[in-house]
Amino acid sequence: MAARARTSDDIAIIGWNISPMVRKTDKTEAQMLLEAITGAVGDAGITRREVDFTCAGSCDYVAGQAFSFVQNIDAVGAWPPKRDSHVEMDGTWALYEAWVRLLLGDIDVALATGSGRSSTADPNLIYPAEMDPYYLAPLGTDAMSFAALQARALIDSGAVTERQMADIAVRARRDAKGSDYAQVSGDFDADALLATDYVRAPLRKHDLPPITDGACAVVIARADKARELCENPVWITGFAHCSELHYPGMRDLRRADAITSAAKAAGVEEAPVEVAEIQTAFTHEEPLVSSALGLGADTAINPSGGPLAANPIMATGLVRVAEAARAVRDGGKHRTLAHSTSGPCLQQNIVCVMEGSD
Amino acid sequence: MSDSVTSTSATITFPYKRSLGPVMSAFMTALTEQRLLGIRSGDRVICPPREWDPDTAADLSDTDLVEVGPAGTVESWCWVATPSSQHPLDHPFAFATIKLDGADTGLLHAVDAGSIDAMSTGMRVAPRWRGERKGHITDVEAFVPGESAEGGGGESAAEPVTMMEYNAAITYTTPITPNEVRAAAANAEGRFLGLRCPTCERIYLGGRGYCPVDSLPLGEEHEVDLPQRGTVTNFTIITPIQYPGQTETDPFARVHVLLDGVEVVVPYQALLDVPVGDVRIGMRVAAMWGDQPQSSGWTAVNLEGWMPTGEPDDDDPNLANRIC
Repeated sequence: MAARARTSDDIAIIGWNISPMVRKTDKTEAQMLLEAITGAVGDAGITRREVDFTCAGSCDYVAGQAFSFVQNIDAVGAWPPKRDSHVEMDGTWALYEAWVRLLLGDIDVALATGSGRSSTADPNLIYPAEMDPYYLAPLGTDAMSFAALQARALIDSGAVTERQMADIAVRARRDAKGSDYAQVSGDFDADALLATDYVRAPLRKHDLPPITDGACAVVIARADKARELCENPVWITGFAHCSELHYPGMRDLRRADAITSAAKAAGVEEAPVEVAEIQTAFTHEEPLVSSALGLGADTAINPSGGPLAANPIMATGLVRVAEAARAVRDGGKHRTLAHSTSGPCLQQNIVCVMEGSD
Repeated sequence: MSDSVTSTSATITFPYKRSLGPVMSAFMTALTEQRLLGIRSGDRVICPPREWDPDTAADLSDTDLVEVGPAGTVESWCWVATPSSQHPLDHPFAFATIKLDGADTGLLHAVDAGSIDAMSTGMRVAPRWRGERKGHITDVEAFVPGESAEGGGGESAAEPVTMMEYNAAITYTTPITPNEVRAAAANAEGRFLGLRCPTCERIYLGGRGYCPVDSLPLGEEHEVDLPQRGTVTNFTIITPIQYPGQTETDPFARVHVLLDGVEVVVPYQALLDVPVGDVRIGMRVAAMWGDQPQSSGWTAVNLEGWMPTGEPDDDDPNLANRIC
């Protein structure tokens, strides 16, 4: 391992919490976050008072309300007033902003959250509103259609087969049996899955993620504080994001160059990766993302079950961070990574590399 | 109040009007003329056209637009067996990326092929034009298998198209929490229900689910009945302008009321039987409840407003600061 000596500028994950993952919660988004944040600061052994900065990832179109994140601040415990920010992105990007904020060096502890109640409306009607408003949104272009276009391009090129996609679903659902945060899990037969009808050809139901309500919170701290609070901080050794073109017809959908760029910037290739928690909400994305990250056969992909087991929009990526951190702190792994994505056909991507304490 | 009412639905419409800029304006105007345009960037032709090169970000706004298509080749496609209310067709169809003849990038649009069996990568398609076109991506109703454009007729735009509309509608269903249901039920009975935080003892109105200061969940065990008398702490006189839903025509007051004996301010309340010129900070008022709850969705609004009690005003000079 190419372990670098840690300095006081290093930043570590010191606690996290994942909410129950359900098709429809009777809680408000703020209530889900209240519990997730209470769990995360408790896991870190601190109180909300010790958090110096918070950043939330959520989406007004999902919530059905302008400035919906303002209410979610209630869950943070923002009295006395707290430095706060928000991204209209998955919570992984909120964690990135929190990480950048801690790099400034004047504060020690930050909290990032991701939350979404996808049950609030039909995701197929929400997604188009976030697309190019001239050429895409007026056609009602939904996430499933974009994914299916990319799946076809990959199948046509021989990069993946429908059989491999079914095998990925079978593995994800089997792995999810061991997770406390899975909505879909169990033992399935690939032949039986392949005998079902297409939902959006070439995608069948098992190729799609479930619709999930959920939230996640992650606490990070600068090195000295992390060691003071935590026996086994999970060090963030690389964190980078990269985006490519929005309009899918202008990209080669068989490639995911933004992922490769982000992985390189985050230093993925510098040492072996034992576990990768990646935001592959559709089965065909797994081989593309794994390959673009430069991962080999010795990396375990989504041992939690991944987004095919639970897909809380706006938190799915941050859950990947929490699961990759868990693999280090509780699972004895040395080096793991988390990947999150946003936009049509894997447009925007972020990669976070984590290592345990030596 | 029925215990079974635990959610409320609302449809939000997003009526966007957007300016198109020179490049997309030319593309949309050409659609009304049943022509498809791309934009030249170096050796490539990009369709749909952009103001910049997608790879180099070079400014293309002064670059020539060139006609492409009308036929093209399907690069990738998926089959939409159950269209959504926002999709361009109401029966099963394909979304496809289509490389129009003469273009080097794919246009994403619908293909009305009738059956999934009629779809294949590499197939040839051509546009089916609407009879009435307005300069919008849906002026092409869909592409259809074959080499020849279909449909059309009607008029081209007399003037360049410079704006476009996009109307989305999304129906949201949000939960009503048990606290909110009980608060509304109390209101219907002529009571104010508060929730007292066990740590800071702040009291919240309206069935709030948690204390935002101490981050503690609040529930039935924290409920307290609140006084029905109080003091006006601050006010505003609203001169109504007419907009949809505005029923007031004359200037009216909205007052903040600090309830007696508790640290609770009820904001933006109606003041009854007081000319707007007589509204004062310090007025003593009492809640006036109606005979019948006015049902409005899941809420039961029974409070008519606040009536002066006739007691002497409270002359505390700090009252004006009590807006929460």
